[in-house]
Amino acid sequence: MSMETILAQTVVNGLMVGMIYMLMAIGFTMVFGIMRIVNFAHGEFYMVGAFMFAIFYGSYEVPFALSLLLAIVTTALVGLVMERLVFSRFRGNELNGMIASVGVALIMQNAALLIWGPSPRSVPAVVSGVISFGGIVFPWSRVVVIIGALIAVGLLYVLIAHTQLGRAMRAVAQDAEIALAQGIRVEVIFPLAFVLGVALAALAGALMAPVLSVSPFVGLAPTLKAFVIVVIGGLGSVPGAVAGGLLIGLIESFAGTFMSAALAEILQFIVVIAVVLLRPQGLLGRKEREA
Amino acid sequence: MLRFAVLAVAVLATGSASAETLTIGINATLSGAGAVFGEGMALAATNFADEVNAKGGLKIGGKSYTIELKKYDDRYRAQDAVTAMERLILEDKVKYVVGPMGSASTLATQARTNGDQILTLTMAFTPKALSPQLPFSFRPAITTAEFTGPQLAWLGKTLALKRVRALAPNDETGQSVAASQKEAYAAIGVNLEVDFFERERVDFIPILTRALAQTDALEIGGNSPTTAGLLVKQARELGYKGPIFVTGGDVTAELVKVAGKQAAEGVYVHLPIDISKPETAGYIKAFEAKFKQPANGHNLFIYSGLQMLTAAMQKAGTVDDTAKVAKELQGLANFPTVLGTAGWTGDKRYGIDHQIDVPFYVGQIKDGVVAKVATCSVTACN
Amino acid sequence: MRAQDGNKRLRFGAIILAVLIAILFPRFAPNQFYVHLGTVGCLNLMFVLGLAIISRAGQLSMGHAGFALVGGYVSALLSMKAGWPALLGVLAAGLVAAAIAAALGWIILRLRGVYFVLVAFSFGQIAVLLALDMSDITGGANGIVGVPPLSLFGYSLASKPDFYPFALACALATLLFTWMLYRSPFGDRMAATAENQRLTESSGVDTHATQVIAFTIGSGIAGMAGALSVHYFRFISPDSFTFWESVSYLTMLVVGGSAGAFGPVVGVLVLTPLPEMLRATQGLQHIIYGAVLVLCLLFVPEGLSSIPRRLSQRYRATPGPDTSTPAGTRR
Repeated sequence: MSMETILAQTVVNGLMVGMIYMLMAIGFTMVFGIMRIVNFAHGEFYMVGAFMFAIFYGSYEVPFALSLLLAIVTTALVGLVMERLVFSRFRGNELNGMIASVGVALIMQNAALLIWGPSPRSVPAVVSGVISFGGIVFPWSRVVVIIGALIAVGLLYVLIAHTQLGRAMRAVAQDAEIALAQGIRVEVIFPLAFVLGVALAALAGALMAPVLSVSPFVGLAPTLKAFVIVVIGGLGSVPGAVAGGLLIGLIESFAGTFMSAALAEILQFIVVIAVVLLRPQGLLGRKEREA
Repeated sequence: MLRFAVLAVAVLATGSASAETLTIGINATLSGAGAVFGEGMALAATNFADEVNAKGGLKIGGKSYTIELKKYDDRYRAQDAVTAMERLILEDKVKYVVGPMGSASTLATQARTNGDQILTLTMAFTPKALSPQLPFSFRPAITTAEFTGPQLAWLGKTLALKRVRALAPNDETGQSVAASQKEAYAAIGVNLEVDFFERERVDFIPILTRALAQTDALEIGGNSPTTAGLLVKQARELGYKGPIFVTGGDVTAELVKVAGKQAAEGVYVHLPIDISKPETAGYIKAFEAKFKQPANGHNLFIYSGLQMLTAAMQKAGTVDDTAKVAKELQGLANFPTVLGTAGWTGDKRYGIDHQIDVPFYVGQIKDGVVAKVATCSVTACN
Repeated sequence: MRAQDGNKRLRFGAIILAVLIAILFPRFAPNQFYVHLGTVGCLNLMFVLGLAIISRAGQLSMGHAGFALVGGYVSALLSMKAGWPALLGVLAAGLVAAAIAAALGWIILRLRGVYFVLVAFSFGQIAVLLALDMSDITGGANGIVGVPPLSLFGYSLASKPDFYPFALACALATLLFTWMLYRSPFGDRMAATAENQRLTESSGVDTHATQVIAFTIGSGIAGMAGALSVHYFRFISPDSFTFWESVSYLTMLVVGGSAGAFGPVVGVLVLTPLPEMLRATQGLQHIIYGAVLVLCLLFVPEGLSSIPRRLSQRYRATPGPDTSTPAGTRR
């Protein structure tokens, strides 16, 4: 392969994987922006979404789009239960809420382990084959993922920017007390935002299930990625999550292809520390004052 | 309850009293990612114990021993393996242990077990698991150090290889497998380039893009079954049509599931088991009927190890003098096990003959199942 | 007044009794395995106390295990490659860990609490990755075997009955140190910073420095305890101190309570035997940890050690002083 082709393929690879990271990060940053919760369990919802999809599509042979929908809905329900039982009780207490989210992550991961066992399970491929343009390869399976991610982000944008609900959410993110004073039903917005964040994670998991494989342990990696991306993009900023997701995807792709995979990992954490040092609010975040 | 019933039957059957218990410990990974191997080991031991006890127990030195098992989970962490081993030695007072499973766990516990003369049947792939300073450590599993050389020599003869690229996880298995591979490939005149990646990685497109750009073959031995499957799948997605080798543990079933039949077609694998052998096929059939689970490589290795261990106990006439048992065990040769005829080897590489010597095979995946294409011993493949 | 005196004497007596039991524990133990557990418990106590000190100043370190890992490797390598006596290695380990924490803390603690947590967490991950990658020095994934044992005045502390008293002494020393730290003026500054950083800052206290110092001390203790444990297990690998350990220590802290110096003792006593009781089962340990963590935070956020105090408050005629929560403010 010529150097140009490799370079181009690397860019394409980076963007493809960046789309999934973006989905994970958006859900994570939304939950933080609106509810001020750093949710260590975010990746576990990704895992549950992947399992639900694997069960509907793989075991029961439900058609693809319907499986996606069912996976999202069932995971969202789990998320709602978690929010009502646990997270809602920690509003105003960020650090304890974060510790509680670690506990929730442990419970979810190991409950999945007990129910479904440790062996990874594979999901039958949704599509197969590749399309190639001028030497650059796009596996169809990943193209499906990209399309799904773009649709989701598009819908989300419409929701946030152009609906009343979206406006209410943005108001709560800015200042919950004032939003309450303005008559916005903050008590409804919180669980709604959480469920929306969980749904995005579940969608990411379901889309990736046929591409990778599904096991109770797949949740930790997306959580870590989401952290890294959201810190870089700005905690609470959705555009930041998009930019951060794509950026991390590219960094990972370039470092993985041209340096070593191990260095790629370390590099990402270093970038996190660098951003925190030089521009703590992230690339696109608002400057936060200490509480 | 069943154990007591068996014990009672044993007592009645032998007439005279002398019904004793031999407690064997199991120190393996029973939870988490490595559980499928640890479970295989534990089930093999359970199977063995059940069969022996059903026949009235182990007859050694005029006494009849019922085998009892104590099972502890090391959670694939060296520190937990140490604590589990302490418990087995101090609280349960065992002298024979099946395990540990992982290399780190074995390294962390070997000084202790050998110091206290506890005989271990370890499954760790690290070459440091065996040495003349570790007279009580035995390994009833064929590792990469044993099979990589002969397998690759055969592959090198069959296909023309100049450059080969390997992808291995950055953990204990991957690192030691990569070391064996480098050595073996060098022996056939290939300079192997190894790329390490973190164990949890699932997206290999970037590193595959780089690796496949300039290579004659892709080597992915040392990866877990799922990772191997993902690597094969993604390599084929990137348009790679060359040969793929899995010169590592037994991964075929999962690999085919994850990668799909088409992508997996033609992949060369290491095959520890020959199901055309009557003793192997018979064991697998009986095991699967009884436990309703597939029997994996770890299972058969441990079962064979236990077959040899108990024979050694009988020859030594004792269960308490582990030094005597170890000597008898090492002396076994041409011993019939479920894997075929077994002996011990390893003096050249490790300084001590505590490495099991059983035949193994080169396999190639054809239409979703693996077909044997060559039979091997530690010296060569044909 | 007299009731309080009596109370104090009671508490003092209880502490003396507990220490005596801990010292004589190996005599009663059915076998050496329990002594091993006791040693693990003492080491755990040191880790959790370090975490408690950091938490006392209002921060949360999710990278605590990373400092233990660094300390462990430093001491192992110094004693094996440079021939240092193990004790000196342990001290060096603590200093190295503290130095890293000081540097990291100075840079990072200026930010909102949440960012600090994420970066401390990243540090823990980087430590593991570096240990895996720098295999020429660290032995890579296989780790380092045959780490020499500690020796005191020429007497080697290799066996369990030998090491346990030393571990106990270290744990008690750390406990005493923590207790004195909390009672010192600096301890008051720490508590005030945690309670309300802005207010404390406006009254002239450099809260940033306070938190950095607390973070340095706590992480230094983790480094030392990590080194001690390496000379006990005689082995270290990148798997020895991971995020899971950080979570374990955090759970012990939350369960025990971080308001006082004795909360960690309760947490360690409750949670150290747990993995052993569950070792024959498969994977239940993690679920129980998770459930315990969540339940404690929901119903006993100040930890189990606060229960006697809360009960006695309920039965007192006059209401007792208001207690602050371990981390952050509560609505």
